[in-house]
Amino acid sequence: MTEVIAGRARVKTVVLNRDVNAPLRGRAEQLRQEWTRRGILVVNLLSSPGAGKTSLLEATAKHWSGRQGMQVLVGDLATDRDAQRLAPWAPVVQLTTGGACHLEVPLVERGWHELPSQDCRFLFIENVGNLVCPASHDLGEHLRVLLLSTTEGDDKPGKYPKAFRTSQMLVISKTDLLPHVPFSVDAACADARAIQPDLECVPVCARTGAGVAEWCAALERRRDALLAGRTDASG
Amino acid sequence: MHETSMVRRLIEMVVQEAERLGGEEVSVVRVEVGALSGVEPMLVQLAYDQLTPGSRLAGSRLEIEVVPLRARCAQCGVFEVPQFHFTCPRCGNSRTVVVSGEEFRLVSFDQFTKPGEPQE
Repeated sequence: MTEVIAGRARVKTVVLNRDVNAPLRGRAEQLRQEWTRRGILVVNLLSSPGAGKTSLLEATAKHWSGRQGMQVLVGDLATDRDAQRLAPWAPVVQLTTGGACHLEVPLVERGWHELPSQDCRFLFIENVGNLVCPASHDLGEHLRVLLLSTTEGDDKPGKYPKAFRTSQMLVISKTDLLPHVPFSVDAACADARAIQPDLECVPVCARTGAGVAEWCAALERRRDALLAGRTDASG
Repeated sequence: MHETSMVRRLIEMVVQEAERLGGEEVSVVRVEVGALSGVEPMLVQLAYDQLTPGSRLAGSRLEIEVVPLRARCAQCGVFEVPQFHFTCPRCGNSRTVVVSGEEFRLVSFDQFTKPGEPQE
């Protein structure tokens, strides 16, 4: 309770109209500019737990087999299991959030500086498995990719609008299970495009390798476009 | 629940500004929460109630205004977005631009004036 004292109980209204997330957004923008300058396409991977983010990155690294320099920052609440899985394939730093449900810019920045080299073509940020909170946090990425596995159901886009609205690419994972689950790739993509009409949809199976070449080619195209934009901007 | 970290930043912003303006007690903090902000108003309130006791904002009240999600169609103008389907309900144009509903904004706060401080 506020005690009202004579001569003090006057109140002024201070108008700020300030975005609460502006400081983090500003830092994310600075990182994005640094990565653009270095020619690194940065990909923020979002999905629910177990949709296959780590498997997709393993398949990506195997497909490129060193032809495209890739590094990974991998976020989890606990353990370095994902980093151990990825270590044979690419330089990786585990980001442990200690219980937080998403990655934020300061942790990503710290991980970026812990990587053995700042020289690569692709930097993947594997977010914490969660389709809600990570959607609200710009990490400085150029490309936000959402993975939706066939076992999750094709009705998910409408249920997680923020995650789909803020993504540019949708990877449908575990397509080898399509004969066994009631999942329509077309229905999922249509539902997602009602939220984000420019979403590029790529069906992939990391286990069999189906679609991995197309996914890697899509990433290479995105990086080419980034480099072309950079040349345009400087010229 | 990422609202906690966002509300922590909100509190820091208010405290910093309130200190700059003389450090008197803050009574009310007003925020806008958009329907597509990714922030849940109820959880914002909960986080505020948990984080402010013991802080410089102890005893203050949080007022939340929920901002509806609106988009603009180049042909038909602004419309309220139903069920997060951003297609224009009049002409079917799918390339619409969100004009409000994505914000988590600190709008204003009320602060007691110092004895003798001129009223604005």
